[in-house]
Amino acid sequence: MTTDTTNTASGDKSGTASSAVAWLAAGRGVQRALLALLLPAAVILIWQLAGGRSGSLFGGVLPTPDRVWQAWTVWAFGPTGLGLNPYSGTWFSNLIFSAERVGKGFLFAIIVGVPVGIAIGWNRLVSGVVDPTVQLLRPVPITAWLPFSIAVFGIQDIGAIFLISLGAFFPIVLNSAQGARDVERNLIRAALMMGASRWTVLRRVVLPASLPSIFTGLRIGLGIGWTAVIVAEMVAVKSGLGYVLWDAYYVGRMDVVIADMVSIGLLGLGSDFIILQIQRWVLTWRRLQSFQS
Amino acid sequence: MGTITFDKVSKVYRGPKDVHALSNVSLNVAEGEFVALLGPSGCGKSTLLNVLAGFDKITDGAMSFDGAPVSKPGPDRGVVFQEAALFPWLNVWQNVVFGPQVQGVAKSEYEPRARQLLDLVGLSAFAESLPVQLSGGMRQRVGIARVLVMNPRALLMDEPFGALDAQTRLSMQQLLLDVWQKLGTTVLFVTHDIDEAILLSDRICVMSARPGRIVRTIPIELKRPRSINSLTSPEFVAYKAAIMKEIQVDGPH
Repeated sequence: MTTDTTNTASGDKSGTASSAVAWLAAGRGVQRALLALLLPAAVILIWQLAGGRSGSLFGGVLPTPDRVWQAWTVWAFGPTGLGLNPYSGTWFSNLIFSAERVGKGFLFAIIVGVPVGIAIGWNRLVSGVVDPTVQLLRPVPITAWLPFSIAVFGIQDIGAIFLISLGAFFPIVLNSAQGARDVERNLIRAALMMGASRWTVLRRVVLPASLPSIFTGLRIGLGIGWTAVIVAEMVAVKSGLGYVLWDAYYVGRMDVVIADMVSIGLLGLGSDFIILQIQRWVLTWRRLQSFQS
Repeated sequence: MGTITFDKVSKVYRGPKDVHALSNVSLNVAEGEFVALLGPSGCGKSTLLNVLAGFDKITDGAMSFDGAPVSKPGPDRGVVFQEAALFPWLNVWQNVVFGPQVQGVAKSEYEPRARQLLDLVGLSAFAESLPVQLSGGMRQRVGIARVLVMNPRALLMDEPFGALDAQTRLSMQQLLLDVWQKLGTTVLFVTHDIDEAILLSDRICVMSARPGRIVRTIPIELKRPRSINSLTSPEFVAYKAAIMKEIQVDGPH
């Protein structure tokens, strides 16, 4: 309350009401960011203090945040090629390995999933033929596909990409189908009335009307894609953050394990943010709509 | 051009309990005529419009538009929906040129016409706006402009002003009168508003529900050109009194 009035007062003094509004908005943004950081900061602090001087918890199993940070800096910026620390300087290349796999797999899932989903939602015949199979395969967890993937593709990139695609495919298909099913009937009627062919209706009405739902599918699919890449790299390939995670665990480098986990989390967050930005840009009409109501 | 014929048309929605939406409806609309379908909700007036638009199939009877049987929707019958049904991701201009565009009309041909119609409905300044940024009345103006741009031989209007506030409705009625008096297109207009039906139409078909049928046809011989000022003329009031009496005879059930 106090901060609000001071902000408004200073804004009025400077002459424009809009600057006061901007100040308030910025103030609220900072406030929200501080609130959001409160809990992680507290956890890190307690974790650090609990470790005390030994630098670890649970009898040396869990390193404290400062040790993790140290391990991460070496992992990220240390010199490569020296035999003592196999992780030194490899963070970025491993991150790229993982991100590239997720990118490829996710892209493939979109290219196949969106058209298939829309076809299921739009056409009763396609729905009758394809949807039962999709529903049958969907409950098989991505981890259960691992042996299959290794048997078919071997210890190679393609196996990981297959798993990522498969994991992302289902939420993308389901949400695209839902979107196509839920298109307002009068929009389709209006397009037909204006002389649109069924193909035109599909392209110019059903697809854009389904986009909000498709984006929901993309965000869920990308999340599953990150899960899939870590699982795949732990077992079926010899590079990437998932590989490092498992390898570091085996040699007892829990500091690297934790740094790796945090890296994966931040990457997932970052990629979701990118999709969200694309969504904001593509669905301006939708944003205005919800703003109105 | 723009003649409509319903010959003993019936429409039954099959289900656990069949719904007789239309029963034995016969109606002829002449070229350039403005006919209002008046009735309570559920009387089948929208169904009658939907089958003529080609959105729905009839169960029995025959129906033709300009002598040809109706099989599917098409730009010769421009439909104006109650909630405008604009594409929310397209701006006003893109919505208006959607029809000619998907029909493959040359840009040089439809652009001047679209501009002219946008001007006619008073929305030239809003060409770049998204539907969500417009008021209900403005959205409906776009809905009218986007069908007029296709030069339809008939306008099928399904309670187009039903969702608008009273004042906006009046200005939209005036706009429609102006446009119709200029273009002379055949109009089939669904409404539950007695005033609106008298003000706009040459003939009112009063419909009744369960089963949906036309129970009365009342010619309206108010002088043209009309305007919303006609709403208070003695002739208008006399029509209104007569129609209210007519409706009273048939309902309530």
